[in-house]
Amino acid sequence: MASALRSAILRHIRIPVTHALSANGSRLTALRLMSSHDDHITKDEVIKRVLDVVKCFPKVDPSKVTPEVHFEKDLGLDSLDTVEIVMALEEEFKLEIPDKEAVRIESCEQAIEYTCPLSFD
Amino acid sequence: MSGIASVSFLARRASQRERVRILYRRALRDTLNWAVHRHLFYPDADALRERFEVNRKVEDVETIDRLIADGEASYNKWRHPDPYIVPWAPGGSKFNRNPVPPEGIEILYDYGKEEAELV
Repeated sequence: MASALRSAILRHIRIPVTHALSANGSRLTALRLMSSHDDHITKDEVIKRVLDVVKCFPKVDPSKVTPEVHFEKDLGLDSLDTVEIVMALEEEFKLEIPDKEAVRIESCEQAIEYTCPLSFD
Repeated sequence: MSGIASVSFLARRASQRERVRILYRRALRDTLNWAVHRHLFYPDADALRERFEVNRKVEDVETIDRLIADGEASYNKWRHPDPYIVPWAPGGSKFNRNPVPPEGIEILYDYGKEEAELV
């Protein structure tokens, strides 16, 4: 009964599957690239974006920036510069970090750890 | 005794440091609330930084406490009444709002029971 009904319905419906899928897929990837609000970024992407933000900071020498670098000890920044970097990170990832958490972020490693979504690797 | 004194001194300096950082952070955000465009924000942010830099070399603990209190009072006085909140953060305009599912997708509340009902 169910299968008869199903085939009767299916006979009258035409869905261009491959076309719909590819169109949908390409639209999604385009959105991905433009959107900063994305729960599905990989850890590599997070690291790259965090490092880009830090490198763009005017007082930082871009060649010194690595994922393990400490803002004050290695890059010679002061505590207010660190605050500015954390704010730039918040804007990059569209996050709202609570004050108490934000003042604890003092190195690239901590920043990556904070901004990285739950990852399985 | 002097050890205890220096420990408490260091603890006090550390707490002052944190207070200044939180104050600077909040003030910088508030600057962004008042100046909505980047070309307005950058000079304002520089001016704010300048106000902090003036007192960079102050060493006296009591003076620092007073300066921080002054700064916090000034921040509270000029705080923006309607600050920007990231849309999907708590309090934001899109908080807890989920998009409707795309066309053709529906939620089956009787999942797994379809066959049983038809038979």
